[in-house]
Parts: sequence; C-alpha cells; structure tokens
Amino acid sequence: MPNSLIKANSMQKKYSRIFILFWTALLLISLVLPLFAGDYYTRFISLIFIYIILAIGYNISAGFSGITSFAFAAHYGVGAYVSAVAITRYNMPFLVGLLAGAIASGIVGLAVSLPSSKVKHHYLALISIGLLGIVQQVLNEWQWFTGGSGGMYIPSWNFFNIVLDTFQKYYFIFVIMLFCVVLQRNLLKSRWGRDLIAIKNNEIAAAGVGINFSKYRIAGYFLCSMLAGLAGSVYASFSGYLSPDTFNFEFTVFILLMAVVGGEGTLTGPIIGAVFVTVIPMLFNATPDLKQIVFGALLVILPQIMPAGIAGNIKKYFKEIDNNKYILEKAEQNEFDIARNVTENNTGTVDILVVKGLTKRFGGVTAVDGLDMTIKRGTIHSLIGPNGAGKSTTVNMITGIDKPTEGSIIFNGEEITGNKMFNLTRKGLSRTYQHVRLFNNLSVVENVAIGGRLSYTYSIIDSILRTRKMKKEERKSFHEAMEYLKIIDLEDKANYDPESLSAGQQKLLELARALYMKPELLVLDEPCAGLSETETKEFSKIIKKIRNAGISILLIEHHMDLVMEISDYITVIDYGKKIAEGDPVSVNSNPVVRTAYLGEGA
Amino acid sequence: MQEIVTALANGSIYALMALAIGIIYSTTQIINFAHGSVIMIGAMSSYWLLSFAQMNFITAMLLAVLINIVLSIVIYKVSVEKLGDLTNNSRWIVTLFGAGIIIDNTARILFGTEPKAYPYLFDGKVIPIFGSKIMVHEIMMILVAVVIGIVYQIVIQKTNFGRAVRAVSFRPDTSRLMGIRSNHIVLICFAISGAVAAISGALIAPITFASYTMTYSIGIKAFAAALIGGLGNTKGAFIGGISLGLIEEIANMVVPGGLKDAISFLIMIIVIIVLPGGILSAKLFNKGELNAEKV
Repeated sequence: MPNSLIKANSMQKKYSRIFILFWTALLLISLVLPLFAGDYYTRFISLIFIYIILAIGYNISAGFSGITSFAFAAHYGVGAYVSAVAITRYNMPFLVGLLAGAIASGIVGLAVSLPSSKVKHHYLALISIGLLGIVQQVLNEWQWFTGGSGGMYIPSWNFFNIVLDTFQKYYFIFVIMLFCVVLQRNLLKSRWGRDLIAIKNNEIAAAGVGINFSKYRIAGYFLCSMLAGLAGSVYASFSGYLSPDTFNFEFTVFILLMAVVGGEGTLTGPIIGAVFVTVIPMLFNATPDLKQIVFGALLVILPQIMPAGIAGNIKKYFKEIDNNKYILEKAEQNEFDIARNVTENNTGTVDILVVKGLTKRFGGVTAVDGLDMTIKRGTIHSLIGPNGAGKSTTVNMITGIDKPTEGSIIFNGEEITGNKMFNLTRKGLSRTYQHVRLFNNLSVVENVAIGGRLSYTYSIIDSILRTRKMKKEERKSFHEAMEYLKIIDLEDKANYDPESLSAGQQKLLELARALYMKPELLVLDEPCAGLSETETKEFSKIIKKIRNAGISILLIEHHMDLVMEISDYITVIDYGKKIAEGDPVSVNSNPVVRTAYLGEGA
Repeated sequence: MQEIVTALANGSIYALMALAIGIIYSTTQIINFAHGSVIMIGAMSSYWLLSFAQMNFITAMLLAVLINIVLSIVIYKVSVEKLGDLTNNSRWIVTLFGAGIIIDNTARILFGTEPKAYPYLFDGKVIPIFGSKIMVHEIMMILVAVVIGIVYQIVIQKTNFGRAVRAVSFRPDTSRLMGIRSNHIVLICFAISGAVAAISGALIAPITFASYTMTYSIGIKAFAAALIGGLGNTKGAFIGGISLGLIEEIANMVVPGGLKDAISFLIMIIVIIVLPGGILSAKLFNKGELNAEKV
C-alpha cells in the first residue's frame, strides 16, 4: 500500500475522533439544554432546528446539485399552509398533516424542476422568483383556504391525543432535525450524492457516465422542496399562527444567507449557517432596515471572499476526514488484469459500429458530409484529418452529444442515431474528451468509481439506511476503482482533488473512468493532445493493452507517429468528406492524404 | 381599442426592460438579478427630481439616466467583476440578488414606503382615436420603446462597438486576445442597460405608482418578458414584452385583480417548459452549434 495512503489514514482516524467527540458533546448539550434554558430560549432553539431542516433542503439543491432557487420561502410557506389546513379544517392527525405539507410542497417544486430539466440553472433562478410571487399572491388572495392576509390560527400540537408543551415540542423537532441531518449525510455520501455532485460539476461528462441529468434534477429538487415543506409544516404547528408575510422576499434572503454563511455544498454548512443567521439579526432588532442592508451586503461579499462558507473554511484543515475508507482495507490488491476487469460481454456483431451517410449542417456550413465508416470489433480505428475536417463533430454525433442532420449510426447491430448520450453508455459506448472533463468536486478515486455507477443496484432507501448491501457494493466498487488507478499509476493520489493532477494525469484519469464503464467501444478524442513524449508513449502502451483485451477503439489523434504505429485501420476526412481509408501503410502513401495534410501539388 | 393600446404600451415597456436584461446577458451570459432594483431607482430618482427639485422632465430624465449608469457600473464592479469565469460558477446569482436587496432597502429608507403618484407625460392629455380615448403618454411609451429598440439594433449590427459586443458574447477570451477589452465592453453594456432601465422605469411609473416595491412588481415582469421572448436578442425582447402585455390585459378581464400577476408567471413557466429558449430563441436554432463548440 502506498505510503501516502497510510499516512492519510492515521490522520483520518485522529480527526474522526476529534469530530465524533465534538458532535457528541453538541448532541448532549442539545438534549439537556431545555432543562436549563427558559421557555423563551427553548422556543428560540426549536426555531433554529426548523431552520436547519430548511437549510438542508436548500443546501442539497443549491450546494450539491447546483440548482440555485429563490423559491424556498414559497416551498416553506406551502408546506406550512397545507399542513395547517389539513390539521384545522380536515381534522387530520398531526403526523398526516406534516406529511401532506411536505408532499404538497414537493408538488409545487415540480413547477420549478420541470422547466429546470430543460434549461440552464440561471433560468431556473428566474422561474423560482416567479413561483415565489405566485405563492405570495395565492396566499394573500385565496381567502377560504388561507384566511388571506389576516392569517390563520392552528391549535396546539396534538400527538396521539397528548397536547405537547414547549419542551416536548423541542424534543420532537430535535428528532426530526436529526433525521434530516442524517438523511443529508447518508444520501450525499452514496452514489446518489456523487451523481448529483457530478451534474453540478460537469453536465456533459455526467451524461457521459450515463447520468440522465434531467431526471436527477427533477427528483433532486422534489426531495429538496419536500424537506422545505416539512420544515414549513413543523413551523406551522410550532408557531400556532400563520400569515402570508412570513414567507416573503425577506425570508428568501434569510435562507440564502444561511447557505452562504454556513457553506454551500458542505454537510455541516446548514447547521452552522442556521445558527449564525438566526443569531445575527438579534443585533439589529432596533433597526430592521439596516438588517436587510447588512444581509444584502453579506450576500454580495461572502461568495466572493469565502465561497465555501464557514464550514468549507474549517474543512480545509481537516481534508483527510473525507478520505474514502474502503480503499485502504484491501491489504493485498489484485494485479490489474484488463481482460478480467473490463470485458464482460463482448460478443456482438463483427462490425461494432457502422456509420452510413452521416451528415451534420450548422446553418449553412456542412461540417460532416455523407460520411461512411465501419469499425471492426477488436481493432483500433483512427479517424484523422486536418483541423476543422469534422472529426470532433463526427465523434459528437456517434456519442450522442449532437444530433445528425442526416444518416444513420448502427452500434452492435442496433440503430442508435439521435440517441441521448446517457443511453449510449448503457449500451457499451464510452468516451474521453478533447478538453478534459473531470468532476472536480469528487476525489480522484471517486472520479473513477463514478464510471462504474451502472453496476450499482442498491436503492435510495439502502443508502439512507446504510444497509449492508449498500456498503458491500460501495466497497467492491472502490476496490475495483483502485485497480484502475493502478494501471495509470495514480493509486497513491486516490484521495487528491483531480485539479491537483498534471494535464497528462488528468487525461489518464479520464481514460480510467471511461474504462471502468466497461465499454465495448471506447472513443478517444485526442487523448495525447498536450502530453509529453514519454506520456504519449505510455498512453500508446495502455491503448494497445486495451485493444488486446478485446475492446474496440475509435481514436482521433494528431500525433501521426502514434496513429501510424498503433492503428489497425485509418479513415481520413477533409472538409467533412472521407478522402481515404485503409491500413496505415496504404494511407501513409496515399497522394490525396499527403495533399490534404501537406498541401503538396500531387 | 383602449385595452389594446394599453396592452401594447405596457408591453413595449416590458420589452424595453427585457432588452436591458438582454444587453447584459448577450455579453456575459448572466442575468442581472438586481435589474428590478435598477428600474426602480430609475423611477424613484426621476420622481424625486421632478417633484422635489422641480426640474423639467428632460433634465430630470437625463439625470436619472446618469444616476442609473453609475449605479449599474457600481453593481458590476462590486458584485460581478471579481468573480472571474462566470460560466463555470453561479455565485453571481447570489451576489447580484444581494446587490438588489441593498438597493431596495436603501431606497426604502431614502424615499419612504408610501407609493407616489408619478405625473403622466403631457399632463395625462387624452386624444380621441377611432372613437376611443387614448392617452398621449401611452403612445409615447410605444414610440420611445420602438425607437430605442431600433437604435440599439443598429448599434449592434453596424458599429465597431456592436461588433465588439458580439465578439465578446461569443468568445470573451479570444476577443481579449484580438485586442478587444472584454471587461470594458461588459462594463459599457451594464451602463447601457442601466440607462435603458431608467427610461423604462420612468415611463411605467405613472401607471403603477412609484415606490420601492417596484423592484418586485415590475422587475419580475421584466424577467418574465425576457424569458418568454428568449434571452439576448432584440426581437425576442419585443415579442416577449408585447406578449406579456397582451396576456396581462386578458388576465385582467378574466381573473380577480390580485391574481393577475400569478397568471403571467404561470404562463412564463409554461412557455419555458414548452419552448426552453423562449418564443423566438436564438438558442433554439443554434443549439447544435454551441454544443459542438463546447466539447
């Protein structure tokens, strides 16, 4: 085992002990606090707990999945009102009311997340402002439902016919809050969490590893708005009185500030943020106008000087705590064997990819013009041509990023023309990118492991409960990911950030991720661009190894020496048209090719 | 007839606001979430200059435009410039939102919470056209909006500055290498956007009353118009603005007053679900091109 891993491991143990002690202390304090604190402070801390739930909802949405929404005040309000109406008007039991509030809020959240699946995130922020406006107006106008601007009263909590007092309420809210904290942690430290983080980091690469990001966004936001709705329902019964003014624009500012102060995209951020932002305004009780201005100023300044918030800044010093513990367990690692690790079911048609009459027009420009190409199973097929010949466009069409204007693509005997990228991954096609696309918020080993996400079978319930099945699959997945890191010689950097790697290592890491998807056809888009001589040689060895394991490769590359050395077959295109094809020797001596490349007057 | 003119007049002002949002979007790909506040300051400052400083309309307008230009530049300097690459982080959403909060609350302290009756142009004179009474102010709203739209279009298409704007919007880094000062161009776009916002704010204020809450009540419509039409092009802004004006007038007749805005928002959300790039969207037609560039 590499030395750096062992060192990190001991650090992790040390830090975990500190943090476990700290959290236990905090837990104990929270448990005994109501015994000492008076009625006022007990209520105050209960309110902070409610805000923590709300902040967790916002944090999963904005911090982890990259959906910045201003509508969380609206979700909170919908949850509050629906649960209040359910309990007071329809005499539902308290817990059913809570659930109704959460679900209603989730449904309202669809108004944001459905459009969000189609457009970029900043559109979404706009839609969410619109939603906030709609909910405000409805709360004010829909008299018989909400009691209008006069507000409505909710009877005190009735829990199996026991009316709760302030202290019992405190413990009840405390339990719900703990549940949400655990839910956030377990969810985000599972494959679902990694998928969400991947989408935020890099949409195209996320689609490249098979994540249907529209679906994930809708589901993710549904969960987040449900959490906000839950917080709202709890608040409704807790406060006993609701008025539409509670859920206004200023409350949105409050929610944003909790996330910004605590730290977006950190697990403890919501807790720290909720505590701080609830306490700060007490300083401004005399001057409410000034309070809003200070809040605004914090929103402007903090993201610029402290993007990761308080939690992020603390975390910087304890980075090792996040290290993956599975990768250390395996004392004796299997020697990597590409045939065993990669090829599982590689028995399809001989012509693995058939491209017929492929055409792509951008406005008046024809980038690819009637291209025919056939890739035989188990070969390295190179696609070369001068700059602007249409190579990348061709590859983008094959891998489902671009839609062909005309023509067909048949993969493994199956028509895949116009299929979306995330579907193709499932069918056995993976790729690397000309400009490296790694997930920078995931560690090196997680970047590889996400390539194997299709082999996971554990459900969202498994990840919330941390069942044995989930742990077993995670362990297996990370052990295997380490084997992939071994062939590219990065195992001792498993816990590093991908950004700290050199350009060559990043390219290799991307290759490892693509390999871990266990593809039948691997598309490499200029894998050696920007690599040094030795790195290129290393790369060509690995490529050959992959081919020998039976994986077909489509290679785009400008290093002619490399192409001529490793290719089994070459297709040359220029101005979107095929000008030559054949084995390396015949292409090399083809006068048409020489003209295209060197401009010789042949 | 009267309703149609009102819808067109309001619609053209929404278009103007959407245009101002589009000016910034087209160079930076960001949406100025503080734009509602900028519009509000345009209306409030010109109101203050008209009624307390007793200036005539033209001077007041010019000063208000100036104030807004400065304000927009400050917004850019304080909350956007330092963020670096705007396409890869979305922190600008929060910083611009925060800037808006600061402006709104400062305005509340300065101008008070009471909505003010903003004077109509030409003292609210009414002229009969085809038997119905049309306010000259409304005709002016349409005229000013159309003139500004045409001038902006000419500037973008025909001048060096316009070419620079288009270059920056396509490739900020490459433009910088070609000797275009990208940051400078963006700054100018923020300034123009502020100026247009001042005019639109002042023209709509007689109809809505001037108060610090205009940020929300009017600003949100600017965003809606921009989204309905498609962000970042003049034609889209006008189509979006006028559609919104018409939708609003129809909603006015059908639903109770308080829910009128809710209907507009709802339609905005539906438009985005059905046509992600807006009714007239440059993005819709160029989608493939953009993707090919990115990978």
